[in-house]
Amino acid sequence: MTVDRRDFLKYSALAVAATTGMPGFLARAAAQAATTPGTAGKTLVVIQLTGGNDGLNTLVPYSNGAYYAARPNIAIPKKDVLTLTPDLGMHPSLKPLMGLWDSGHLAWVENVGYPNPNRSHFASMAIWHTADPTQAQAEGWIGRVAEKIGDPFCASNIGGTTPQALRASDFSLPSIDSVSSFQVRLPAGLDGAFEQLLNLPRQGEADYLSRATRQMVLNTQKVQANVAKYRPGAKYPEGRFGTHLQDAARLIAAGTGQRVLYVSLNGFDTHAGQRADQDELLATLASGLAAFQADLETQGLADRVIVMGFSEFGRRVAENGSAGTDHGQGSVMFALGKGVKGGVHGDSPDLENLENGDIRYKQDFRGVYAGALTRWLGLDAQGILRGDFAGPEWVA
Amino acid sequence: MPLPPLSRKLTAEDAAHFLRRTAFGATDAGIRDLVGQGAREVARAALAFGDERAPGNPFNPAEAATPFAGVQLTRAAWLFELLYSPQPLRELLALTWSNHFVVATDKVRNVPVLAGYLNLLRRHAATTDFARFALEVAQSPAMLRYLDADQNRKGRPNENFSRELLELFTTGIGPYTERDVQEGARALTGWTFRGGRGNQKFLEDSEFFFISGQHDGGRKTYLGQSGNLRGEDVVRIAATHPATATFVSRKLHRAFVADTPDEGAVAASAETWRRTNGNVRAVLEELLASEHFYSRRAAIIRGPVAFTVAAVRTLGGPRLDTRQILNLAQTAGRMGQFLLEPDTVKGWDGGREWVGDTALLLRMQLAASLTVGNTAPKLEILPSDLALLGTQRSPLAGVTGGLNPKQRLYLSLISPEFGLA
Repeated sequence: MTVDRRDFLKYSALAVAATTGMPGFLARAAAQAATTPGTAGKTLVVIQLTGGNDGLNTLVPYSNGAYYAARPNIAIPKKDVLTLTPDLGMHPSLKPLMGLWDSGHLAWVENVGYPNPNRSHFASMAIWHTADPTQAQAEGWIGRVAEKIGDPFCASNIGGTTPQALRASDFSLPSIDSVSSFQVRLPAGLDGAFEQLLNLPRQGEADYLSRATRQMVLNTQKVQANVAKYRPGAKYPEGRFGTHLQDAARLIAAGTGQRVLYVSLNGFDTHAGQRADQDELLATLASGLAAFQADLETQGLADRVIVMGFSEFGRRVAENGSAGTDHGQGSVMFALGKGVKGGVHGDSPDLENLENGDIRYKQDFRGVYAGALTRWLGLDAQGILRGDFAGPEWVA
Repeated sequence: MPLPPLSRKLTAEDAAHFLRRTAFGATDAGIRDLVGQGAREVARAALAFGDERAPGNPFNPAEAATPFAGVQLTRAAWLFELLYSPQPLRELLALTWSNHFVVATDKVRNVPVLAGYLNLLRRHAATTDFARFALEVAQSPAMLRYLDADQNRKGRPNENFSRELLELFTTGIGPYTERDVQEGARALTGWTFRGGRGNQKFLEDSEFFFISGQHDGGRKTYLGQSGNLRGEDVVRIAATHPATATFVSRKLHRAFVADTPDEGAVAASAETWRRTNGNVRAVLEELLASEHFYSRRAAIIRGPVAFTVAAVRTLGGPRLDTRQILNLAQTAGRMGQFLLEPDTVKGWDGGREWVGDTALLLRMQLAASLTVGNTAPKLEILPSDLALLGTQRSPLAGVTGGLNPKQRLYLSLISPEFGLA
């Protein structure tokens, strides 16, 4: 986390204002953050599959007759499955990830969910974002990570608007849509006036906007101080998801200091014609992640980054009448990277013992989060998740 | 208890507030027109819009060569209307409804279907009959396609529309069970549309069509009512449910009063809603003439589209060329709000969600391009601080004092005060 000293002084008035205007924890030095030795400089990349990814067609129980019976039109035929174990295999679109599987750096966590599942996209997404199935919390779990670490730039969303997961009680962690354009370019002669403008005393939402703008100025400086050093180490697929993953790699390579980065891929709400849509989305996911991992290898950073992926819910076991699936409960999570213990963690769902047509989840997702928080980021998972949640040892 | 009306005649600041909230921004001429009038007549006049359009719209989606171009042109044509329509409140309401009855162009790419949807939102912008509005939306090919209602058949239900009808369009979460979602889906079977299907037919119109052979005519129980319910019944029962009055009134408060609405005031609007059987025009007229509306200043964070349109309208509505307007539509998208393409069927949450580093940076670039940039439009009249910021005594006076007019406009547009309505 290095900021060019001259740049910092140039904006010192803004810097002071940003610190004094921020809630108490932000004024604390980031260096004081209590982290376990050996976890410094490590980054967690969270991948959100928005819309409810169908877990059963992602990690396919190809030896299970009940799976094929429930899905006469959309099941993945056994011959197409990428075999992982005698019972499970991956959707063929995930082929770019086979190399990671073979080298032991791809993990699947089976049968993940939470108590009293909610089939609403938004309620369920909020539960994953706040890590609170009672929906009493408004802050996101990564927002609480930022409060814990005491640094308003320790996590970022790559994208346009900040998801709830990255909101703290009194501010949002930044969203960076494009690293190259992430800089302030003031028209000539307005530096002083701009500073004055942001330092006027304000209240309510006006105060929120001016604080957010001051923080943005600082964030852009941190990013721009270092990103020029990055040279791409892999060819990323075209499209928004690939571009965002490359920006994530760029920020990590530049050493901008984020402990958590967040990237989303949208479109998994496959109520109709699921095969065409999900096949394409999983291909986008896999080709992007494979490029990201290759890039990190080239940068010499592969042992400092892990990826953890989730979706707000899985889908009904039985297909619906439109060759799609409706909202269900429970799904799979995935993780990849050199710091990940490869393999399938947890038991597969029993497809013949369903709850209203849905699988019965066995692993609380907060137990999976806890692994990343404790074992990868060296943080107090219990404090952040507000409870003690057990999970598989998917972090090596 | 209805919301108490504003008792005084409009002051200049009241007029600026009204225009900043209902017309995407104030101009000094607009303020002069309203000063001294009664709040009720001002609200009534603003809501008495017809279907007249901005003249000279250069974007014609019907000439699109591809579905993608059709979507781009539809978006640009709407932005042109938002920027230059003589009826900004109608367009603002259409924008609000497009964020309520959401459809999105990732799935709906048919030009006449999108045009039909937008015209429906305009026609019902201040509807006197919400249940009818809801039914027309539910049977629009845009919605049938977007939430897979056309795939919902007897014995093979697809619950997508049935769920969102309750969760997002009418009652909100709470008053219904999973069972209601399933029963609703049964009642809605048989609805489909014909024409305009597939990528090749993106210029061919579609129409609602009922296939009785695919309708489940059996007995259902939905939100406590039983019978051989049909799709029309289900939409009516949901749209006239008492909880709908509160749920949708709250959205109107968020659009016009505050990002965090006052629940007491929402309850008052909901009561008017129920008393008038879902007369949104009556609810809006009462709200926009109320003491409550005039007392909550600087309480809405302008979203990307509202910010963009407000900037151009406050500068007096200078003509921009077609490329500039296409760019504005893209810029609003990069700030997080592509017209007709919310990330999810829930729509944009708004409020502080609009405030992120990228969005703030883009606001600064947009402000520069409209004021100090090489291609900035020539302005005939410079807006006053009152028109720009909503207050007669500018809080920025000490900052903008020594600057030239263009610099003053730039800093005003990027100020937190302009960013709020």
